[in-house]
Amino acid sequence: MPTIAGPSFSSHEHIAAARSENTVEVNTPRKRKLRSDSAAEVSTPMKLKSPRRCAVSIPRTPMAEVKEESNGKPETQFDCLDVKSKWNPRDEDQMKAVKEALHVSTAPSTVVCREDEQGRVLEFVKGCMEQKKAGSLYICGCPGTGKSLSMEKVRQQAQDWAKQEGLPCLETVSVNCTSLTKTTDIFSKILGENKTGKKAIGSSSPLEQLQIMFSQKRESPSSKMMLIIADEMDYLITRDRGVLHELFMLTTLPFSRCILIGVANAIDLADRFLPKLKSLNCKPLVVTFPAYSMQQILRILQERLVELPYVAFQPKALELCARKVSAASGDMRKALSVCRSALEILETEVKGSIDHEPQTPVTEDQVVKMDHMLAALAKTFKSPVVDTIQSLPQHQQIIVCSAAKAFRGSKKDRTIAELNKLYLEICKSSMITPAGITEFTNMCTVLNDQGIVKLSQARNDKLKRVSLRVDEADITFALKEIRFFRNCLL
Amino acid sequence: MGKENPAEKALNLIRGRLCDPTFVFRPLSGSSDSNYSKLKFIVSTSITEGCNNSILLLGPRGSGKAAVLDLVVGDLMEEYPDSVTLIRLNGLLHSEDNCAFKEIARQLCMEHHLLFSKMASFDENSQFIIAMLRECGLAHKTIIFVLDEFDMFAQGKQRLLYSLLDAMQSVTSQAVVVGISSRLDADQLLEKRVRSRFSHRKILFLPPSREEIDSLLEHLLSLPADSSFPSGYVSQFNEKIKSITSDTRFKDMLKTFLNANSTVNSFLKFIFRAVSSMNLESGLLSLENFKTALSSMQRQPKLEAVRDCSILELYLLVCMRRLEVKEQNSYNFISVMKEYKTIHDSFQTSDYYAQNVCLRAFEHLREREVICYAENRGQSQAGEYRPMKLLISASELHQGMRSHACCPAILLKLLDH
Repeated sequence: MPTIAGPSFSSHEHIAAARSENTVEVNTPRKRKLRSDSAAEVSTPMKLKSPRRCAVSIPRTPMAEVKEESNGKPETQFDCLDVKSKWNPRDEDQMKAVKEALHVSTAPSTVVCREDEQGRVLEFVKGCMEQKKAGSLYICGCPGTGKSLSMEKVRQQAQDWAKQEGLPCLETVSVNCTSLTKTTDIFSKILGENKTGKKAIGSSSPLEQLQIMFSQKRESPSSKMMLIIADEMDYLITRDRGVLHELFMLTTLPFSRCILIGVANAIDLADRFLPKLKSLNCKPLVVTFPAYSMQQILRILQERLVELPYVAFQPKALELCARKVSAASGDMRKALSVCRSALEILETEVKGSIDHEPQTPVTEDQVVKMDHMLAALAKTFKSPVVDTIQSLPQHQQIIVCSAAKAFRGSKKDRTIAELNKLYLEICKSSMITPAGITEFTNMCTVLNDQGIVKLSQARNDKLKRVSLRVDEADITFALKEIRFFRNCLL
Repeated sequence: MGKENPAEKALNLIRGRLCDPTFVFRPLSGSSDSNYSKLKFIVSTSITEGCNNSILLLGPRGSGKAAVLDLVVGDLMEEYPDSVTLIRLNGLLHSEDNCAFKEIARQLCMEHHLLFSKMASFDENSQFIIAMLRECGLAHKTIIFVLDEFDMFAQGKQRLLYSLLDAMQSVTSQAVVVGISSRLDADQLLEKRVRSRFSHRKILFLPPSREEIDSLLEHLLSLPADSSFPSGYVSQFNEKIKSITSDTRFKDMLKTFLNANSTVNSFLKFIFRAVSSMNLESGLLSLENFKTALSSMQRQPKLEAVRDCSILELYLLVCMRRLEVKEQNSYNFISVMKEYKTIHDSFQTSDYYAQNVCLRAFEHLREREVICYAENRGQSQAGEYRPMKLLISASELHQGMRSHACCPAILLKLLDH
């Protein structure tokens, strides 16, 4: 039976599957009340003890559920489709609910697609807690790959586990290093002092206090372990790398009881900035969070949307978004932003049609379709350079053309006076009255402000050097419609 | 007396309109496709639905980005009183993190009638801001952060941008970040983690099209038919405006102007100058007003300098040009005098002045910055032996001489030869 529920399922799969998976979560949002209660009672809620089960269980449970709900409802899957498709984009509450589900700030209750990495970190933390040893861990990955989110989950899970096992509860310190005024403030944060600049006991700095604390044997056997999560750790890097070193060295002290997790973007931060630790044989464990693949992005989006009782997105549209974003950067925030953008395009369209024909009923298919998604993707990924060049006034376009022609060879910058000569040539050859040198310099300054050319500083206006900031290919593409410029650029 | 007042009143009214960005951009609020509506839609959804957003307004200077934003914020403050707090920062003033946080804390204190302490440290300011964000989020009040000159904030460590955009990602805060910049690649200047938190919405402010310019012209220059003006005057004025705008010469003039500079701001300046030169006797605008405005906006100072030179000065300039043509790149007063003598000998010109008079003319040219000393180093030498150079190009000299009131024909011939 479970084998049937495999690749044969098409887009209905994720809806039905996700419906059952919803019962996994113990803390569900309020929208769950709209669901049929039978689903809640029938399937056993699965705890997150073995996160691997989540990934495997999706294809299985729909069939299992249908079997268990054997009170004569064979069309369960298709029923729920019907229940789902009645989305009215004109209803503000429904639109708001969808937007909220897709907002970056809404943290999902389960973090999918990161079970592997979360598992590894959790195992490491558990091991340290059981053996009462200190350890350090370094998390790296591109922005938007779920690092901070996963660390929050790990923290909660570690605390729950400690309570469960009867170990002394875990003390946690979560610091975002951008909020520190001085890099050494991180030590005071760890100590728990909220007031910086005030010296505590005696005249020892917070770092020294921590070092003393960790070098002495504690009398009480039930000392608490400390979990330190340092986000955006590269802000701690100074010229002499002192702070970063000291922070990691805290875990090597004999009676240290802190588990340090550092999060940053660079993969080789540990190697480049902490060479000493290697010699002491306590290099931090490195866990890389790779950028999301297309399947993962698609799954995460579906997860977020599955809790809603209606279908707001055409599945192909979501797939397109996932494909494009994973090819570009694999950044989850971007995917969510694109989906919200597509939703807004649909909203404006619907509002526009309301204005024209207020009496027509909602057609069945008013969901986010491929063309909405394409428009949203174009808006996000397109650079405004081409549009701007196309809408520049004519003289400025001639200047951009002459710059493109001038910098074709090896010479990458010219003075304003030389560029002016080229500009005058083009104007003369096409019988346009050229602008004077003052106007020309002003136009070059305007183009510099917009980031199309770059003007260097010089005392004399005419000696300023001009170089191009945009690609010549962009210029050719932007101006290809106008025959005059096409001939110019040849 | 009766005729003066309406003309002056009309002039004041139109000039007042041109200086008021709200009036200028108001017609945009009608169309649903304009930047105004897009911006209003995004900001109002954040207010009503509580989702955080970040937007970037891009466009050349003077295209109305700050004006449209002010219009949107003003309208929203009327629609939702007490739900909107506005915080303004400028990249030229507050690009340093300490400064920026202090300014945000100060403005928040002012809005909510709290006392602001200048001695507050960076930590205290940032904690205050976080607490305020949370409070406002709970009370469903939206904070709009306006960051002018956004590209200046992207220098250095970008801590302010990171903190603000990170606050957008948390559920507890309800805020919108609007960045205004003239650089097209402003979002490429951001670090990748800051860019990841930015929601990539950009609104491009492109220069207006011809139709928009025409409708803007009509909107600005037509007098309203209310009782403060004599009724015949209003219709006369508006008729004259219509006839001017449909004249092909005016259209050509407008085209020449827009080919050089097409932002809304420069267009408003152009209209302002035209309107200011209105003849108060007749009380009506005319085509000449626009012509004078155009020539005053497209001045060529060096050309005017050459046009005002005396004949002797023109002779000296031509001599210098001829020396340049003969590949003699460094020349001083003495060599110019030699050339002058050669010309006089070969062409038997009537004007031949003594050396000290020529020296006076030379000084004159130097004061007007038509010529200057080539280097600043040899200051010990006497003025006559120091190398000089021309500060105007050959074509400018040509044009200036051609438009000179009484330039002798022989000089033009000498220049071409």
